[in-house]
Amino acid sequence: MEKSYIMSMDAGGTMTDVFFVDRDGKFVVGKAQTTPHDESEGFAASCVDALKQWDMKPDDVFPEVITGIYSGTSMLNRLLERKGQNLGVIVTAGQEDYFQLERGIQTYLGYSYQDRLKVVTHRHNEPIVPRKQMFGVRGRIDCFGKQAIPLYEDEVRDAVRQLVGMDVKGIVVNLLYSFANSDHEQRVKAVANEVMAEAGADIPLYLSSDLYPVMQDFARLNTVTVEAYAAEPSRGQFKRIADRVSGYGGDTQLRVMASHGGTISMDAKELARTLISGPIGGMVGARYIAEKLGEKNIVCSDIGGTSFDLGLITDGEFTMKAQPDMAKFMLKLPLIEIDSVGAGTGSYARVNPISNRIEIGPDSAGSKVGMCNPQASETTPTLSDCNVLLGNLNPYNFLGGDVVLDPDAAYRGVKEHIADPLGLGVHEAAEGVLELFEDHLRNEVFARIFGKGYSPDDYVIYSYGGGGPLHVCGYTAGLKFADVVVPAWAAGFSAFGCACADFEYRLDRTVNAAFPASDMDPEGFKGAVSGYAEAINSAWASLETRVAEEFDKSGISSDQVEYKHIVRVQYAGQLNDVEVTVDFERVESAEHLQQIIDRFEDAYSKAYSRAARSPELGYQTTNVVVTGTVPVEKPALPVETVSSETPPESARKEGRKVYRGGQWHEADIYDMDKVLPGNVFKGVSVLESPATTLVIPPGFEARLDEHRLFHIKEIKG
Amino acid sequence: MATYTKDQLKQLVNGTVDKYTLHDMQSQFKDPDRFHKILEVWQEHVDWDDRIILPLAENLFVVLKEDGKRIIKSRSGYEFCEVHENWKLHARVFLRNTEEQFDELYPRKMACHPDWMEIREYYDPNDGTLLEVEAVPPGYPAIHDFQPDIDTFYNEWLGQPLQ
Repeated sequence: MEKSYIMSMDAGGTMTDVFFVDRDGKFVVGKAQTTPHDESEGFAASCVDALKQWDMKPDDVFPEVITGIYSGTSMLNRLLERKGQNLGVIVTAGQEDYFQLERGIQTYLGYSYQDRLKVVTHRHNEPIVPRKQMFGVRGRIDCFGKQAIPLYEDEVRDAVRQLVGMDVKGIVVNLLYSFANSDHEQRVKAVANEVMAEAGADIPLYLSSDLYPVMQDFARLNTVTVEAYAAEPSRGQFKRIADRVSGYGGDTQLRVMASHGGTISMDAKELARTLISGPIGGMVGARYIAEKLGEKNIVCSDIGGTSFDLGLITDGEFTMKAQPDMAKFMLKLPLIEIDSVGAGTGSYARVNPISNRIEIGPDSAGSKVGMCNPQASETTPTLSDCNVLLGNLNPYNFLGGDVVLDPDAAYRGVKEHIADPLGLGVHEAAEGVLELFEDHLRNEVFARIFGKGYSPDDYVIYSYGGGGPLHVCGYTAGLKFADVVVPAWAAGFSAFGCACADFEYRLDRTVNAAFPASDMDPEGFKGAVSGYAEAINSAWASLETRVAEEFDKSGISSDQVEYKHIVRVQYAGQLNDVEVTVDFERVESAEHLQQIIDRFEDAYSKAYSRAARSPELGYQTTNVVVTGTVPVEKPALPVETVSSETPPESARKEGRKVYRGGQWHEADIYDMDKVLPGNVFKGVSVLESPATTLVIPPGFEARLDEHRLFHIKEIKG
Repeated sequence: MATYTKDQLKQLVNGTVDKYTLHDMQSQFKDPDRFHKILEVWQEHVDWDDRIILPLAENLFVVLKEDGKRIIKSRSGYEFCEVHENWKLHARVFLRNTEEQFDELYPRKMACHPDWMEIREYYDPNDGTLLEVEAVPPGYPAIHDFQPDIDTFYNEWLGQPLQ
């Protein structure tokens, strides 16, 4: 039988994971040390590690790889470590201090709530472009796109001349309102090219109107600068990985996971979109499975070492955030909305000496696990310590037994730092910590769903990541979800999800076109729809062209691309826009406008409330979006034959005691990889795989279905 | 509970502590052993041998003399007075009370008028370190700004009397 494989890799800060899945949905995951100077070395080692589980070599497999996906943190690390390219920036005169002022807000972005209130902790970032390499030029385009002051070209000439002398590797150009009218930026480009030709220099220019033509000046400057600073140098890394792939005989084009949930070619013009891809994979995977199973509304929950990530899929669609922040930078990129809330399994648990109450996080031991890890020298107990202590985690199964955890150290830690100060028993205290954690997560889950105007019984919740299955019963208890699903490959779910992503470009453009309330009456639109339609249609057309250009680089012609047309709408004068997907390609009639209004009103009343609707203000379209998708090969969902309810004896591991509800229970322990579809597990059961553990407490039961998804049910009344 | 090495506290005093550690120190609960450790750090930092019993300001300490007197002493070693007195009365003072003198610090019209406010700069008589600045109406007495109750602090907060 002809084989075909899908490969996805994730080059993290310390480990590079490679994931291969074959046509039947069988997969292997390989791990190797990340090699930052040349990521392709770690990639190669990781491929070898993965494929040896199938007794194969990269040379055997790559000729049959039909899709290869990259995700990684190298771009982000380059930004965090300030190791990007040396750049110059040309802005509208008066804006030269942007990276020093950073709107104030960047001094505390990403901080915990406590620290946001504590002004003494706020700190300015080290600017990614030094002040002396920032130049202001006079000239002004107003907010309507009209020229208010002509461009002072001599100032451009002077700035470029100086930047050439400073030996910069790129020049970023970001003028006010360039998204409304790019004439001045184009002029800067022309003048700069003249100056460089005279000086014999050839420095690439990055124009904001060209790359990210969207409003919000500072976030746009950041995005364009990050593109030039951190994303551009990644092209070399991608090239080396692609060379490895072709060296192994592969002829697939490597694609990169982008923040909007699709993958883009590594030749894409806007590579900064791939800066944030970490937590997205899981959501893409959940959407893919849900689509196969006919589920529309999904809550994705992922517990890692440091955070609890929560995202919603509603009516089969992600919610997109237009202005995310990352590494203390406000950016202007479409990002799937994922909230990092609460804490992760590595979060510290402490007793607040002032209030004498248990507090969890916000800081965490992360990959160091906790005091129970003999290879780390942690001095504060973590949630993992509590889990080891209560028997939820098997100390001999952590990372498949690579690290043997020490329950006695966990016991001492919890006793000294939590139980003794509170006058509680050690196990009682540890259970209290976990209950507090799960209560907190449950409240967050409920608040997110409720905040969207839904209730949990409209949703299926997916739980994955190393720590999700451990706590899933705790944080879903009593919420009455339609279903609670844990994929048996929960720990590798993000990598799986990356492989499920479409080949998709998404481009945004600011238009700021409104139609006033007075133009609408029950019979339809009396005012001229044409002005509005013209603005939207021409923006859509320009975005379609750019999407087509991007696909063209991968040799895909425009007629193979499926386009989707989106407008972001808000009530005129309000601040929060809502994304509306329409089913026409051009605004041509009053019916089309009515569809935009109806869909916007519907989405708005769900997100906020029906009573908050304000149609009398009129409707403003802030941004238009075009996505172009090309279908790609995706991993098959495994389908296995259903066996009996009783798990096979071969899956059974040595039993142990688990502490729940103030007492010890004799628990059944199973190997998660060996249990069979149809098997039912009653509380107290623990299912272990090398990288995750599913705990079924009393009052719950789990059933494994033919797709190797566990469905968890609450059985107590 | 948070705890820091003496080396980290030394860096804190020198201003060389890295930003992540500093952020941790600011966000975490106070380390219970900080006071004793920071006294050791300061004691190693100064060139004289009198025992520091309390840091008073950035360059000022309360020291315990052999005769049992508690004296305010600067980092350079200048001894001002006993702890209950106002050390400012023993410092070198530079008074700014003309517009020309304000011009050296602020753009014209962005400082107060000298009829309403004057700036008093207190300097260490030994080495000219600027110790404190106060901005007060002309004629206002020198502000006596920190009058610690050392015995109560030692007995009730630290739980051990100062001997």
